[in-house]
Amino acid sequence: MFLTVLNALNEGFLQTLKLFAVTLIGALPLGLVISFGSMSRFAPLRWLTRAVVWVIRGTPLMLQLIIIYYVPGQVMEGHSPWPGEFGRFLASCIAFIINYACYFSEIYRGGIQGVPVGQQEAGEVLGMTKRQIFFRVTLLQMIKRIVPPMSNEIITLVKDTSIARIISFQEVIWAGYAFMKGSHGYSGLIWPLFFTGVYYLVFNGALSMLFTWIERKMDYFR
Amino acid sequence: MEKMKKLAALLLALAMCLALAACGGESAAETEETGTDAASGTEESAGDGADAAETEETDTGDAAAESDLAYVQDKGTLVVGITEFEPLDYQSETGEWIGFDAEMATGFAQSLGVEVQFQLIDWDNKIMELDGGTIDCVWNGMTLTDEVLSAMECSAPYLNNAQVVILPADVAADYDSVESLADLTFAVESGSAGQEQAEVNGFTYTEVMDQATALLEVSSGTADAAIIDSLMAAAMVGEGTSYEGLTYTISLNSEEYGVGFRKGSDLAAALDEYLDSAYADGTMQAIAEEYGVDAALIAR
Repeated sequence: MFLTVLNALNEGFLQTLKLFAVTLIGALPLGLVISFGSMSRFAPLRWLTRAVVWVIRGTPLMLQLIIIYYVPGQVMEGHSPWPGEFGRFLASCIAFIINYACYFSEIYRGGIQGVPVGQQEAGEVLGMTKRQIFFRVTLLQMIKRIVPPMSNEIITLVKDTSIARIISFQEVIWAGYAFMKGSHGYSGLIWPLFFTGVYYLVFNGALSMLFTWIERKMDYFR
Repeated sequence: MEKMKKLAALLLALAMCLALAACGGESAAETEETGTDAASGTEESAGDGADAAETEETDTGDAAAESDLAYVQDKGTLVVGITEFEPLDYQSETGEWIGFDAEMATGFAQSLGVEVQFQLIDWDNKIMELDGGTIDCVWNGMTLTDEVLSAMECSAPYLNNAQVVILPADVAADYDSVESLADLTFAVESGSAGQEQAEVNGFTYTEVMDQATALLEVSSGTADAAIIDSLMAAAMVGEGTSYEGLTYTISLNSEEYGVGFRKGSDLAAALDEYLDSAYADGTMQAIAEEYGVDAALIAR
Protein backbone atom coordinates (compact mmCIF):
# COMPACT_ATOMS: atom_id res chain seq x y z
CA MET A 1 0.00 0.00 0.00
CA PHE A 2 2.77 2.41 0.98
CA LEU A 3 4.53 1.93 -2.34
CA THR A 4 1.36 2.43 -4.36
CA VAL A 5 0.63 5.67 -2.53
CA LEU A 6 4.24 6.78 -2.87
CA ASN A 7 4.16 6.15 -6.62
CA ALA A 8 0.99 8.18 -7.03
CA LEU A 9 2.35 11.02 -4.92
CA ASN A 10 5.63 10.99 -6.85
CA GLU A 11 3.68 11.41 -10.04
CA GLY A 12 1.78 14.31 -8.51
CA PHE A 13 4.93 15.93 -7.19
CA LEU A 14 6.49 15.70 -10.64
CA GLN A 15 3.61 17.88 -11.88
CA THR A 16 4.25 20.28 -9.00
CA LEU A 17 7.93 20.48 -9.93
CA LYS A 18 7.14 21.01 -13.61
CA LEU A 19 4.87 23.93 -12.83
CA PHE A 20 7.44 25.31 -10.38
CA ALA A 21 10.33 25.09 -12.87
CA VAL A 22 8.46 26.55 -15.83
CA THR A 23 7.11 29.40 -13.70
CA LEU A 24 10.59 30.23 -12.47
CA ILE A 25 12.13 30.10 -15.95
CA GLY A 26 9.39 32.36 -17.30
CA ALA A 27 8.93 34.75 -14.39
CA LEU A 28 12.56 35.54 -13.57
CA PRO A 29 13.28 37.34 -16.90
CA LEU A 30 9.72 38.66 -17.34
CA GLY A 31 9.96 40.24 -13.89
CA LEU A 32 13.07 42.14 -14.99
CA VAL A 33 11.23 43.46 -18.06
CA ILE A 34 8.31 44.57 -15.91
CA SER A 35 10.64 46.24 -13.40
CA PHE A 36 12.21 48.24 -16.25
CA GLY A 37 8.72 49.23 -17.34
CA SER A 38 7.82 50.43 -13.88
CA MET A 39 11.05 52.50 -13.71
CA SER A 40 10.71 53.86 -17.27
CA ARG A 41 11.09 57.61 -17.85
CA PHE A 42 8.27 57.35 -20.41
CA ALA A 43 5.33 58.10 -18.14
CA PRO A 44 2.47 56.24 -19.94
CA LEU A 45 4.52 53.02 -20.00
CA ARG A 46 5.38 53.46 -16.34
CA TRP A 47 1.71 53.97 -15.41
CA LEU A 48 0.57 51.05 -17.52
CA THR A 49 3.07 48.63 -15.99
CA ARG A 50 2.32 49.82 -12.49
CA ALA A 51 -1.40 49.41 -13.16
CA VAL A 52 -0.86 45.86 -14.40
CA VAL A 53 1.24 45.07 -11.33
CA TRP A 54 -1.48 46.54 -9.16
CA VAL A 55 -4.21 44.39 -10.79
CA ILE A 56 -2.16 41.18 -10.70
CA ARG A 57 -0.93 41.65 -7.15
CA GLY A 58 -4.29 42.95 -6.02
CA THR A 59 -6.37 39.97 -7.10
CA PRO A 60 -6.10 36.36 -5.90
CA LEU A 61 -4.04 33.97 -7.99
CA MET A 62 -6.90 31.50 -7.71
CA LEU A 63 -9.21 33.93 -9.50
CA GLN A 64 -6.59 34.63 -12.16
CA LEU A 65 -6.32 30.90 -12.82
CA ILE A 66 -10.08 30.56 -13.18
CA ILE A 67 -10.26 33.57 -15.53
CA ILE A 68 -7.34 32.45 -17.71
CA TYR A 69 -8.58 28.89 -17.96
CA TYR A 70 -12.34 29.30 -18.29
CA VAL A 71 -13.06 32.71 -19.85
CA PRO A 72 -11.54 32.03 -23.33
CA GLY A 73 -13.67 28.89 -23.69
CA GLN A 74 -16.80 30.80 -22.69
CA VAL A 75 -16.10 33.64 -25.12
CA MET A 76 -15.22 31.32 -27.98
CA GLU A 77 -18.32 29.20 -27.47
CA GLY A 78 -16.90 25.86 -26.49
CA HIS A 79 -13.62 26.11 -28.36
CA SER A 80 -11.33 26.44 -25.42
CA PRO A 81 -7.70 27.17 -26.31
CA TRP A 82 -6.66 24.85 -23.45
CA PRO A 83 -7.59 21.33 -24.54
CA GLY A 84 -6.75 18.29 -22.46
CA GLU A 85 -4.44 17.81 -19.52
CA PHE A 86 -1.69 19.76 -21.25
CA GLY A 87 -4.00 22.74 -21.64
CA ARG A 88 -4.50 22.84 -17.88
CA PHE A 89 -0.76 22.78 -17.37
CA LEU A 90 -0.23 25.54 -19.94
CA ALA A 91 -2.92 27.77 -18.47
CA SER A 92 -1.46 27.24 -14.99
CA CYS A 93 2.00 28.14 -16.23
CA ILE A 94 0.81 31.37 -17.84
CA ALA A 95 -1.15 32.45 -14.78
CA PHE A 96 1.75 31.66 -12.45
CA ILE A 97 4.37 33.32 -14.67
CA ILE A 98 2.40 36.57 -14.92
CA ASN A 99 1.59 36.57 -11.23
CA TYR A 100 5.08 35.83 -10.00
CA ALA A 101 6.75 38.13 -12.54
CA CYS A 102 4.83 41.02 -10.98
CA TYR A 103 6.06 40.15 -7.49
CA PHE A 104 9.61 39.62 -8.75
CA SER A 105 9.55 42.96 -10.61
CA GLU A 106 9.02 44.86 -7.38
CA ILE A 107 11.86 42.98 -5.71
CA TYR A 108 14.10 43.76 -8.68
CA ARG A 109 13.08 47.41 -8.59
CA GLY A 110 13.97 47.60 -4.91
CA GLY A 111 17.29 45.90 -5.62
CA ILE A 112 18.20 48.16 -8.54
CA GLN A 113 17.17 51.36 -6.80
CA GLY A 114 19.01 50.21 -3.70
CA VAL A 115 22.37 50.22 -5.44
CA PRO A 116 24.01 53.56 -4.45
CA VAL A 117 23.98 56.24 -7.19
CA GLY A 118 27.73 56.61 -6.64
CA GLN A 119 28.26 53.24 -8.30
CA GLN A 120 26.63 54.42 -11.53
CA GLU A 121 28.48 57.72 -11.37
CA ALA A 122 31.74 55.87 -10.98
CA GLY A 123 30.91 53.90 -14.09
CA GLU A 124 30.16 57.09 -16.00
CA VAL A 125 33.45 58.59 -14.92
CA LEU A 126 35.19 55.51 -16.27
CA GLY A 127 33.47 56.13 -19.60
CA MET A 128 31.21 53.04 -19.53
CA THR A 129 28.02 53.00 -21.58
CA LYS A 130 24.65 52.69 -19.85
CA ARG A 131 24.42 49.06 -20.89
CA GLN A 132 27.88 48.32 -19.50
CA ILE A 133 27.02 50.06 -16.25
CA PHE A 134 23.88 47.98 -15.82
CA PHE A 135 25.39 44.59 -16.62
CA ARG A 136 28.84 45.08 -15.04
CA VAL A 137 28.11 47.33 -12.09
CA THR A 138 24.45 47.38 -11.06
CA LEU A 139 23.24 43.86 -11.88
CA LEU A 140 25.55 41.82 -9.66
CA GLN A 141 25.14 44.15 -6.70
CA MET A 142 21.40 43.99 -7.21
CA ILE A 143 21.46 40.19 -7.27
CA LYS A 144 23.21 40.09 -3.92
CA ARG A 145 20.60 42.41 -2.43
CA ILE A 146 17.60 40.49 -3.73
CA VAL A 147 18.61 36.96 -2.73
CA PRO A 148 16.81 36.98 0.66
CA PRO A 149 13.48 38.41 -0.59
CA MET A 150 13.64 36.25 -3.72
CA SER A 151 14.21 33.09 -1.70
CA ASN A 152 11.08 33.98 0.25
CA GLU A 153 9.01 34.30 -2.92
CA ILE A 154 10.46 31.17 -4.50
CA ILE A 155 9.70 29.05 -1.45
CA THR A 156 6.19 30.46 -1.45
CA LEU A 157 5.93 29.54 -5.14
CA VAL A 158 6.67 25.89 -4.39
CA LYS A 159 3.69 25.78 -2.08
CA ASP A 160 1.46 28.03 -4.20
CA THR A 161 1.56 25.54 -7.08
CA SER A 162 -1.13 23.65 -5.17
CA ILE A 163 -3.57 26.47 -6.03
CA ALA A 164 -3.60 25.21 -9.64
CA ARG A 165 -5.83 22.35 -8.48
CA ILE A 166 -8.75 24.78 -8.81
CA ILE A 167 -8.57 24.19 -12.57
CA SER A 168 -7.97 20.47 -11.94
CA PHE A 169 -4.23 20.52 -12.49
CA GLN A 170 -3.32 17.30 -10.74
CA GLU A 171 -0.38 18.17 -8.55
CA VAL A 172 0.72 16.41 -5.39
CA ILE A 173 -2.05 17.63 -3.07
CA TRP A 174 -4.63 16.50 -5.61
CA ALA A 175 -2.92 13.11 -5.70
CA GLY A 176 -2.99 12.94 -1.90
CA TYR A 177 -6.61 13.98 -1.75
CA ALA A 178 -7.57 11.37 -4.34
CA PHE A 179 -6.87 8.59 -1.84
CA MET A 180 -9.72 9.83 0.31
CA LYS A 181 -12.11 9.37 -2.60
CA GLY A 182 -10.75 6.32 -4.40
CA SER A 183 -7.45 6.10 -6.20
CA HIS A 184 -5.30 3.17 -7.28
CA GLY A 185 -7.58 0.72 -5.53
CA TYR A 186 -7.75 2.51 -2.18
CA SER A 187 -10.39 4.81 -0.77
CA GLY A 188 -10.84 6.57 2.53
CA LEU A 189 -7.11 6.90 3.17
CA ILE A 190 -6.37 10.15 4.95
CA TRP A 191 -2.64 9.93 5.61
CA PRO A 192 -1.47 10.37 1.98
CA LEU A 193 -2.81 13.93 2.04
CA PHE A 194 -0.81 14.77 5.15
CA PHE A 195 2.18 12.94 3.78
CA THR A 196 2.42 15.35 0.84
CA GLY A 197 3.82 17.85 3.37
CA VAL A 198 7.00 15.78 3.53
CA TYR A 199 7.58 16.39 -0.19
CA TYR A 200 7.29 20.15 0.22
CA LEU A 201 9.50 20.15 3.29
CA VAL A 202 12.30 18.17 1.69
CA PHE A 203 12.24 20.20 -1.50
CA ASN A 204 12.13 23.53 0.28
CA GLY A 205 14.94 22.38 2.56
CA ALA A 206 17.09 21.77 -0.51
CA LEU A 207 16.12 25.17 -1.91
CA SER A 208 17.05 26.92 1.35
CA MET A 209 20.45 25.29 1.25
CA LEU A 210 20.90 26.48 -2.33
CA PHE A 211 20.04 30.05 -1.35
CA THR A 212 22.48 30.01 1.58
CA TRP A 213 25.17 28.86 -0.83
CA ILE A 214 24.33 31.61 -3.34
CA GLU A 215 24.44 34.21 -0.59
CA ARG A 216 27.86 33.01 0.49
CA LYS A 217 29.04 33.14 -3.13
CA MET A 218 27.93 36.76 -3.34
CA ASP A 219 29.70 37.72 -0.14
CA TYR A 220 32.46 39.68 -1.87
CA PHE A 221 30.05 42.55 -2.47
CA ARG A 222 29.74 44.61 0.66
CA MET B 1 0.71 68.35 -11.91
CA GLU B 2 1.91 65.41 -9.86
CA LYS B 3 -1.61 64.97 -8.55
CA MET B 4 -3.00 64.97 -12.08
CA LYS B 5 -0.59 62.23 -13.06
CA LYS B 6 -1.59 60.08 -10.16
CA LEU B 7 -5.25 60.59 -10.94
CA ALA B 8 -4.70 59.65 -14.57
CA ALA B 9 -2.87 56.49 -13.54
CA LEU B 10 -5.67 55.53 -11.23
CA LEU B 11 -8.28 56.09 -13.92
CA LEU B 12 -6.30 54.02 -16.39
CA ALA B 13 -6.08 51.17 -13.96
CA LEU B 14 -9.77 51.42 -13.21
CA ALA B 15 -10.57 51.30 -16.91
CA MET B 16 -8.57 48.10 -17.22
CA CYS B 17 -10.49 46.51 -14.38
CA LEU B 18 -13.78 47.47 -15.93
CA ALA B 19 -12.69 46.07 -19.27
CA LEU B 20 -11.87 42.79 -17.55
CA ALA B 21 -15.20 42.76 -15.75
CA ALA B 22 -17.04 43.52 -18.98
CA CYS B 23 -15.35 40.57 -20.64
CA GLY B 24 -16.54 38.22 -17.94
CA GLY B 25 -20.10 39.51 -18.00
CA GLU B 26 -20.37 39.35 -21.75
CA SER B 27 -19.21 35.79 -22.01
CA ALA B 28 -21.80 34.68 -19.49
CA ALA B 29 -24.52 36.44 -21.44
CA GLU B 30 -23.36 34.85 -24.67
CA THR B 31 -23.40 31.36 -23.26
CA GLU B 32 -26.89 31.82 -22.02
CA GLU B 33 -27.96 33.00 -25.41
CA THR B 34 -26.60 29.97 -27.24
CA GLY B 35 -28.37 27.91 -24.64
CA THR B 36 -31.76 29.36 -25.46
CA ASP B 37 -31.05 29.32 -29.18
CA ALA B 38 -30.28 25.67 -29.09
CA ALA B 39 -33.21 24.81 -26.89
CA SER B 40 -35.70 26.35 -29.26
CA GLY B 41 -33.82 24.86 -32.19
CA THR B 42 -34.00 28.02 -34.24
CA GLU B 43 -31.32 30.48 -35.27
CA GLU B 44 -32.50 33.98 -34.61
CA SER B 45 -30.05 35.95 -36.67
CA ALA B 46 -31.84 39.20 -35.83
CA GLY B 47 -31.28 38.62 -32.14
CA ASP B 48 -27.63 37.70 -32.71
CA GLY B 49 -27.00 40.71 -34.88
CA ALA B 50 -28.04 43.03 -32.09
CA ASP B 51 -25.02 41.96 -30.13
CA ALA B 52 -22.14 43.62 -31.92
CA ALA B 53 -19.43 41.79 -30.01
CA GLU B 54 -20.39 38.37 -31.30
CA THR B 55 -18.80 38.30 -34.71
CA GLU B 56 -16.95 35.01 -34.56
CA GLU B 57 -19.63 33.40 -32.48
CA THR B 58 -21.97 32.95 -35.41
CA ASP B 59 -20.03 30.23 -37.20
CA THR B 60 -18.31 28.36 -34.36
CA GLY B 61 -21.33 28.65 -32.08
CA ASP B 62 -23.75 27.35 -34.68
CA ALA B 63 -21.59 24.37 -35.51
CA ALA B 64 -21.64 23.29 -31.87
CA ALA B 65 -25.35 23.89 -31.57
CA GLU B 66 -26.08 21.97 -34.77
CA SER B 67 -24.48 18.69 -33.83
CA ASP B 68 -22.41 18.03 -30.78
CA LEU B 69 -22.33 14.39 -31.89
CA ALA B 70 -20.63 15.32 -35.17
CA TYR B 71 -18.20 17.54 -33.26
CA VAL B 72 -17.20 14.72 -30.92
CA GLN B 73 -16.90 12.17 -33.74
CA ASP B 74 -14.83 14.59 -35.76
CA LYS B 75 -12.50 15.14 -32.84
CA GLY B 76 -12.28 11.39 -32.15
CA THR B 77 -12.54 11.57 -28.35
CA LEU B 78 -15.34 11.84 -25.84
CA VAL B 79 -13.98 13.72 -22.86
CA VAL B 80 -15.88 12.63 -19.75
CA GLY B 81 -15.78 14.97 -16.75
CA ILE B 82 -15.54 13.03 -13.49
CA THR B 83 -14.50 13.26 -9.87
CA GLU B 84 -13.21 10.30 -7.89
CA PHE B 85 -16.44 8.65 -6.77
CA GLU B 86 -16.50 5.02 -5.74
CA PRO B 87 -18.30 2.91 -7.04
CA LEU B 88 -19.09 4.99 -10.13
CA ASP B 89 -15.78 6.47 -11.25
CA TYR B 90 -12.59 5.47 -9.47
CA GLN B 91 -9.11 4.20 -10.19
CA SER B 92 -8.05 0.59 -10.03
CA GLU B 93 -4.72 -0.39 -8.56
CA THR B 94 -3.11 0.00 -11.97
CA GLY B 95 -4.53 3.49 -12.40
CA GLU B 96 -7.29 2.53 -14.86
CA TRP B 97 -10.64 4.27 -14.50
CA ILE B 98 -13.22 1.72 -13.42
CA GLY B 99 -16.68 1.83 -11.90
CA PHE B 100 -20.24 1.65 -13.17
CA ASP B 101 -20.21 5.09 -14.81
CA ALA B 102 -16.70 4.69 -16.19
CA GLU B 103 -17.56 1.39 -17.91
CA MET B 104 -20.83 2.66 -19.30
CA ALA B 105 -19.05 5.76 -20.62
CA THR B 106 -16.42 3.59 -22.28
CA GLY B 107 -19.16 1.54 -23.93
CA PHE B 108 -20.97 4.66 -25.10
CA ALA B 109 -17.80 6.11 -26.62
CA GLN B 110 -17.20 2.81 -28.43
CA SER B 111 -20.71 2.91 -29.86
CA LEU B 112 -19.93 6.38 -31.24
CA GLY B 113 -16.66 5.14 -32.70
CA VAL B 114 -14.53 7.47 -30.57
CA GLU B 115 -12.07 7.05 -27.74
CA VAL B 116 -13.09 7.77 -24.19
CA GLN B 117 -10.93 10.11 -22.14
CA PHE B 118 -11.59 10.70 -18.45
CA GLN B 119 -10.90 14.16 -17.09
CA LEU B 120 -10.91 14.90 -13.39
CA ILE B 121 -12.67 18.17 -12.70
CA ASP B 122 -13.58 20.38 -9.80
CA TRP B 123 -17.29 19.70 -9.31
CA ASP B 124 -18.05 23.39 -8.78
CA ASN B 125 -16.73 24.17 -12.27
CA LYS B 126 -18.61 21.46 -14.19
CA ILE B 127 -20.83 23.83 -16.18
CA MET B 128 -17.91 26.10 -17.11
CA GLU B 129 -15.94 23.02 -18.22
CA LEU B 130 -18.86 21.86 -20.41
CA ASP B 131 -19.55 25.24 -21.99
CA GLY B 132 -15.86 25.92 -22.54
CA GLY B 133 -15.48 22.62 -24.39
CA THR B 134 -12.79 21.21 -22.10
CA ILE B 135 -15.10 18.28 -21.39
CA ASP B 136 -17.99 16.85 -23.43
CA CYS B 137 -20.15 15.46 -20.66
CA VAL B 138 -20.50 15.17 -16.90
CA TRP B 139 -20.94 11.49 -16.06
CA ASN B 140 -20.31 11.01 -12.42
CA GLY B 141 -23.41 10.10 -10.48
CA MET B 142 -24.89 13.53 -11.05
CA THR B 143 -28.20 14.10 -9.32
CA LEU B 144 -30.76 15.57 -11.69
CA THR B 145 -31.70 18.71 -9.78
CA ASP B 146 -33.60 21.67 -11.26
CA GLU B 147 -30.34 23.56 -11.45
CA VAL B 148 -28.61 20.79 -13.42
CA LEU B 149 -31.60 20.31 -15.74
CA SER B 150 -31.72 23.99 -16.61
CA ALA B 151 -27.98 24.30 -17.29
CA MET B 152 -27.35 21.06 -19.18
CA GLU B 153 -28.90 18.75 -21.74
CA CYS B 154 -29.48 15.65 -19.62
CA SER B 155 -30.00 11.99 -20.40
CA ALA B 156 -32.93 10.08 -18.95
CA PRO B 157 -32.20 8.98 -15.34
CA TYR B 158 -30.31 5.69 -15.07
CA LEU B 159 -29.74 5.13 -11.35
CA ASN B 160 -31.80 5.73 -8.21
CA ASN B 161 -30.11 7.47 -5.35
CA ALA B 162 -30.94 9.00 -1.99
CA GLN B 163 -29.27 11.49 0.28
CA VAL B 164 -28.38 9.72 3.52
CA VAL B 165 -27.16 10.94 6.88
CA ILE B 166 -23.70 9.80 7.99
CA LEU B 167 -23.14 9.52 11.74
CA PRO B 168 -20.51 8.05 14.04
CA ALA B 169 -21.66 4.47 14.59
CA ASP B 170 -21.67 4.74 18.41
CA VAL B 171 -24.26 7.53 18.49
CA ALA B 172 -26.29 6.56 15.43
CA ALA B 173 -28.96 4.85 17.54
CA ASP B 174 -29.82 8.15 19.26
CA TYR B 175 -30.88 9.75 16.00
CA ASP B 176 -33.74 7.84 14.49
CA SER B 177 -35.82 10.63 12.98
CA VAL B 178 -35.24 13.77 10.94
CA GLU B 179 -36.43 15.87 13.93
CA SER B 180 -33.78 14.39 16.21
CA LEU B 181 -31.04 15.68 13.86
CA ALA B 182 -31.97 19.33 14.32
CA ASP B 183 -29.20 20.12 16.85
CA LEU B 184 -26.36 18.63 14.83
CA THR B 185 -23.84 20.44 12.68
CA PHE B 186 -23.61 18.94 9.20
CA ALA B 187 -20.87 18.84 6.59
CA VAL B 188 -22.12 18.81 3.00
CA GLU B 189 -20.51 19.04 -0.40
CA SER B 190 -20.82 22.55 -1.75
CA GLY B 191 -23.51 22.74 -4.43
CA SER B 192 -24.55 19.13 -3.96
CA ALA B 193 -27.95 17.56 -3.52
CA GLY B 194 -26.89 16.96 0.08
CA GLN B 195 -26.64 20.69 0.65
CA GLU B 196 -30.12 21.09 -0.82
CA GLN B 197 -31.45 18.58 1.70
CA ALA B 198 -29.70 20.35 4.57
CA GLU B 199 -31.39 23.58 3.49
CA VAL B 200 -34.81 22.00 3.04
CA ASN B 201 -34.64 20.47 6.52
CA GLY B 202 -33.24 23.62 8.10
CA PHE B 203 -30.05 21.97 9.38
CA THR B 204 -26.98 23.93 10.41
CA TYR B 205 -24.29 23.02 7.90
CA THR B 206 -20.80 23.76 6.66
CA GLU B 207 -20.01 23.53 2.95
CA VAL B 208 -16.93 21.51 2.10
CA MET B 209 -15.20 20.70 -1.18
CA ASP B 210 -16.56 17.23 -1.83
CA GLN B 211 -18.34 14.28 -0.28
CA ALA B 212 -15.09 12.61 0.77
CA THR B 213 -14.19 15.73 2.74
CA ALA B 214 -17.62 15.64 4.35
CA LEU B 215 -16.81 12.13 5.58
CA LEU B 216 -13.43 13.31 6.84
CA GLU B 217 -15.18 16.06 8.80
CA VAL B 218 -17.36 13.55 10.61
CA SER B 219 -14.56 11.07 11.27
CA SER B 220 -12.32 13.79 12.66
CA GLY B 221 -15.14 15.25 14.75
CA THR B 222 -15.19 18.69 13.13
CA ALA B 223 -18.79 18.06 12.09
CA ASP B 224 -21.40 15.92 13.85
CA ALA B 225 -22.86 14.44 10.70
CA ALA B 226 -22.72 14.56 6.92
CA ILE B 227 -25.19 14.16 4.08
CA ILE B 228 -23.92 12.22 1.06
CA ASP B 229 -25.19 9.99 -1.75
CA SER B 230 -26.40 6.58 -0.61
CA LEU B 231 -24.40 4.83 -3.33
CA MET B 232 -21.20 6.40 -2.10
CA ALA B 233 -22.10 5.73 1.52
CA ALA B 234 -22.61 2.07 0.75
CA ALA B 235 -19.14 1.83 -0.78
CA MET B 236 -17.15 3.98 1.63
CA VAL B 237 -18.65 3.74 5.10
CA GLY B 238 -18.99 0.95 7.65
CA GLU B 239 -17.47 -2.51 8.14
CA GLY B 240 -14.53 -3.31 5.91
CA THR B 241 -13.91 0.29 4.80
CA SER B 242 -11.52 2.94 6.09
CA TYR B 243 -14.41 4.63 7.88
CA GLU B 244 -15.41 1.74 10.14
CA GLY B 245 -16.44 4.14 12.89
CA LEU B 246 -19.14 5.71 10.74
CA THR B 247 -22.49 4.49 9.58
CA TYR B 248 -25.35 5.76 7.46
CA THR B 249 -28.86 6.06 8.72
CA ILE B 250 -31.86 8.05 7.55
CA SER B 251 -32.61 8.71 3.89
CA LEU B 252 -33.73 12.30 3.47
CA ASN B 253 -35.12 11.99 -0.06
CA SER B 254 -35.03 9.88 -3.17
CA GLU B 255 -33.56 11.13 -6.39
CA GLU B 256 -32.10 10.05 -9.71
CA TYR B 257 -28.78 10.22 -11.51
CA GLY B 258 -28.34 11.35 -15.09
CA VAL B 259 -25.60 12.31 -17.52
CA GLY B 260 -25.19 15.97 -18.47
CA PHE B 261 -24.19 17.35 -21.88
CA ARG B 262 -23.89 20.86 -23.29
CA LYS B 263 -27.23 22.60 -23.56
CA GLY B 264 -28.86 21.68 -26.86
CA SER B 265 -26.49 18.78 -27.52
CA ASP B 266 -27.78 15.83 -29.53
CA LEU B 267 -25.47 13.53 -27.55
CA ALA B 268 -28.08 13.22 -24.79
CA ALA B 269 -30.52 11.53 -27.18
CA ALA B 270 -27.72 9.34 -28.56
CA LEU B 271 -26.87 8.22 -25.03
CA ASP B 272 -30.48 7.38 -24.22
CA GLU B 273 -30.56 5.18 -27.32
CA TYR B 274 -27.31 3.49 -26.29
CA LEU B 275 -28.52 2.88 -22.71
CA ASP B 276 -31.81 1.44 -24.03
CA SER B 277 -29.92 -1.09 -26.10
CA ALA B 278 -27.44 -1.87 -23.31
CA TYR B 279 -30.35 -2.54 -20.97
CA ALA B 280 -32.16 -4.62 -23.57
CA ASP B 281 -29.21 -6.97 -24.09
CA GLY B 282 -28.37 -7.14 -20.38
CA THR B 283 -24.87 -5.58 -20.43
CA MET B 284 -25.98 -2.68 -18.27
CA GLN B 285 -27.39 -5.02 -15.61
CA ALA B 286 -24.20 -7.10 -15.65
CA ILE B 287 -21.98 -4.07 -15.10
CA ALA B 288 -24.29 -2.76 -12.39
CA GLU B 289 -24.04 -6.09 -10.59
CA GLU B 290 -20.26 -6.05 -10.84
CA TYR B 291 -20.11 -2.74 -8.96
CA GLY B 292 -22.93 -3.50 -6.55
CA VAL B 293 -25.38 -0.89 -7.79
CA ASP B 294 -27.85 -3.29 -9.44
CA ALA B 295 -30.52 -2.57 -6.83
CA ALA B 296 -30.46 1.10 -7.79
CA LEU B 297 -30.67 0.56 -11.55
CA ILE B 298 -33.68 2.14 -13.24
CA ALA B 299 -35.51 -0.21 -15.61
CA ARG B 300 -35.73 1.12 -19.14
